[in-house]
Amino acid sequence: MVMKPVPWQTGEICGPESAKSLTKPDVLKRDLSKAKKLLLIVGSEAPDEKHGKGDMVDYAIALSKAGKMDVIATGGAIKAFIEKGFEGAKTMGAMELAYRLQDPEWKGPHGRGPYDMIMIYGQPYYMQWTMLSGVMNFAPQIVPIALGRYFQPHAKWSFPNMKEKQYHTILDEILELVGGGK
Amino acid sequence: MDDSQPYYGAMFEGTSPRTGTDFRMKKKAYFKADEADTGLGKFKGLEVRIGTIVDDEWDEPMGPTPMPGPTTLRSWDHKILTKYQPSYMPYCQVCCLCTMGKCDLSGDKRGACGIDIKGQQARIVLAAANIGCAAHLAHSRHLIDHLIEEHGPRTELMQGPGTEIHAPVTRLVTGMRPRTLEDASLILDYCETQMTHTLSATATGQEGSWMDFESKVFHAGMIDQLSMEIADLAQVSTLGMPMADPDAPLVESGIGMMDMDKAIILTIGHNIVPAASITDYITEKRLNDQAEVGGMCCTAWDITRRDPKAKVVGPISWQLRFIRSGRADVVVVDEQCVRTDVVREAKKVHAPVISTSDKAVMGLPDRSDDPPESIIKELVSGKIDGCYISDHSIVGEVATKVAIALKPSRRKMKFFPSKKAIQKMAEDCKKCSECIRACPNDQNVMEAVLAAQTGNMEPLREVYKNCIGCARCESACPNDYDLHSWMVVAGEADCEDEKYMVRTGRGAIQDTEIRHVGQPIVFGEIPGVIAHVGCANYPSGGDDVHHMAEEFAKRRYIIVTSGCAAISMGHVRDENGQSIYERRSGAFDAGCVVNVGSCVANSHIAGAAIKIAAIFAKRNLRGNYAEIADYIHHRVGAVGISWGAMSQKAASIAAGFWRLGVPVIVGPHGSKYRRMLLGKADNERDWMVYDARTGERVPTAPGPEHLFYAAETVAEANVLTAKLVLRPNDTGKGRSIKLSHYIDIHETYYGFFPEDIWKYIRRETDIPITLKDKILAQMKENKWKERKIPDPTLLKEQVIGGGA
Repeated sequence: MVMKPVPWQTGEICGPESAKSLTKPDVLKRDLSKAKKLLLIVGSEAPDEKHGKGDMVDYAIALSKAGKMDVIATGGAIKAFIEKGFEGAKTMGAMELAYRLQDPEWKGPHGRGPYDMIMIYGQPYYMQWTMLSGVMNFAPQIVPIALGRYFQPHAKWSFPNMKEKQYHTILDEILELVGGGK
Repeated sequence: MDDSQPYYGAMFEGTSPRTGTDFRMKKKAYFKADEADTGLGKFKGLEVRIGTIVDDEWDEPMGPTPMPGPTTLRSWDHKILTKYQPSYMPYCQVCCLCTMGKCDLSGDKRGACGIDIKGQQARIVLAAANIGCAAHLAHSRHLIDHLIEEHGPRTELMQGPGTEIHAPVTRLVTGMRPRTLEDASLILDYCETQMTHTLSATATGQEGSWMDFESKVFHAGMIDQLSMEIADLAQVSTLGMPMADPDAPLVESGIGMMDMDKAIILTIGHNIVPAASITDYITEKRLNDQAEVGGMCCTAWDITRRDPKAKVVGPISWQLRFIRSGRADVVVVDEQCVRTDVVREAKKVHAPVISTSDKAVMGLPDRSDDPPESIIKELVSGKIDGCYISDHSIVGEVATKVAIALKPSRRKMKFFPSKKAIQKMAEDCKKCSECIRACPNDQNVMEAVLAAQTGNMEPLREVYKNCIGCARCESACPNDYDLHSWMVVAGEADCEDEKYMVRTGRGAIQDTEIRHVGQPIVFGEIPGVIAHVGCANYPSGGDDVHHMAEEFAKRRYIIVTSGCAAISMGHVRDENGQSIYERRSGAFDAGCVVNVGSCVANSHIAGAAIKIAAIFAKRNLRGNYAEIADYIHHRVGAVGISWGAMSQKAASIAAGFWRLGVPVIVGPHGSKYRRMLLGKADNERDWMVYDARTGERVPTAPGPEHLFYAAETVAEANVLTAKLVLRPNDTGKGRSIKLSHYIDIHETYYGFFPEDIWKYIRRETDIPITLKDKILAQMKENKWKERKIPDPTLLKEQVIGGGA
């Protein structure tokens, strides 16, 4: 495991701007305090990724409730939210989402935007990479935070290719930071 | 229309219909003979070019845009690009194309030449479309020149029985009916001119607007479609391939189908000419019991179209596994999608490589002018790793004789390590994860290697199933493990079991078939035409293509396919051991699976949509691009899917469909094309059309919602496909059928009733009867109002009376 803030897929290097390494939840405090409207974006890999006693869909539900975040599920992940009885998630395609977020007045499918911060995980690495490139370059009003295990250079904050155990620990700490968890 | 219609020498002469001046189609006549005995005397090396021949037998009136230049259809493109705006996702934020750079284009910065990041992304998209177009066009040019040399310029072009409207793309774009190879050559002259223009626009200091770059992307795509049609028309006419035949033969496919008792010649690429020389030689010398030919990628389709005894080994992503297996005694490469390390890889298994294309010489010595016997001797002895032979007439003899000579010794060789050896080597794994980081699909290669340490090969076998064969894991491995080979060893039993029957390419769609299905397609009663095309860069194995095709075939959509997607689609057997091609007819009809053939046969898919406009709606095709594209966009529920899109060629093929207004879905790797073309469903203004009957501007439902879209998963692709076939012109019955499928697929894959059905209800007749209560409730909740069903068009000039 590299544990460095470098793109997880080695060829996916970016341009002059790159994400900051997210190794302690506290570094998010300032951005979180400024954020008025948060959106949590959860991709198709989340239902298959374990977290604690559940999976990363359970984590999304907990995070959404704690942080009062709207949830948009991409790539069919919505089915897992529905099966878990969570009705607060909406579905959109990842590519649609990357596009619509560029509109500073877009209210989103919940009608509660516009969003000024997104948290995102669960899409195939390279696809999230391109999505976040669209957001970084054309949606400067949004603070993107990548919550996947691997470093996403186009976010503002991203984990530096973390070891699994450490990753899940810090996810729980972030949940606590936004008001949930233990 | 633009007044400044470009002038293309003697090829097209005339005046724009707006000015009313006469026009006539002209073309140069050309004749060549090695020896001619004429009334004037005997001639050697005779080459005659005479005046012009006037094609004045075609009474269809010329449309407004014959042989359009790069800006002729700009107005149409802008209409489409306003509706479906590019969403850029820069692959890098710098430009490094000139020495003033690198320039940082991030944020709102501009480069030294003045370009901004949107313009730069569009520029790169145009460069990709040009590269793709160039590959097909150069292929087409080679074919035409070769076939003129072999058969003469006056050789007739035919698409087969029931294809009175032959070459619909050519008619639409150029206003010409290509009747001979010479006509084909003239059309390629036009294509080459256009491609030079669109490529030149990417030079520093030329185009600067993203919108105009994108318009030229469409132009390059249209030229690509034209050049592909010419290539396939010419090869079908001259090389004995099925001609618009729904019953094109079933042929053997899969690695396990190769008969190892014979010498195996592997052909890779897209250009049939050298491969045909091999199958012809084997047939002529009656060597079928000693040697056989297997193809990969589009050459596979084209050799089996010509000779159904040849075999389709597999899609492009299987090159490495097949070469490394040592099964091929000789590897013959032509052009496009060939692994650039083919010589290095083949050398590892002592298989010589014969390069046959000037586009892919691969560093090999040129033996084009040497006698076959001396080339054979050098290749068999191993003195050279391979050679380049430009003279295709001797490729067949050389490849066959070398393969037969090498076979006995090569069959005694072992090329893969044993499972035991793999287990031993795996013990030294450094657990660095570099193999995973290098894998495009993020497969856990390292865990599989660690499992192999204990003798458990199952995880490696799983990786094999989803592997696209790029071998980046090997390049990254600090221990230089041949990881791809290990996967193949672990998947050995699967490999042997890869035995399928697939229907080879039929070529064009018959006019009679269009007559039969045109109305139900336009009215929406056949819910859609889904085309699975393109490469094999699949996110999780080729089976997905089969599953997507079957999902819609069983719902009576028409499934059309070509290229590597067509191969992968056939590589799944049902419980009766049958492939999709054995289960389903090859006719262009509801529930059928239509393999048109190789990449260049993609033009027949566009051709089918174009012919619907001509046959069902009786629209003139000749030089009438915008009207026909407008017709297709609003009425023909077609969707292209390239689940494993990888190449620039896939980009240019897609661009050809975009200009026709046909939406294209790609797999998640397609997001790396760095730009989508997306509609905004909630922006009512974007979905306004003219009602051609009244000239009134009227709202329509957002259909098709997007023009180019990378789907994250099969689930998303299926839901989107069902939605993208919706068209403003659907009848009530058609809309109701399409919505039923959309709802069912949405519920299956997303687990809930879609929330946007009310948007697609224009009148109560659109409501699927069995879901009426649910939909009525949704309509009420959203304050639905009845809408008229217009005769939809984006073109004011299509309004009856001219829209004045």
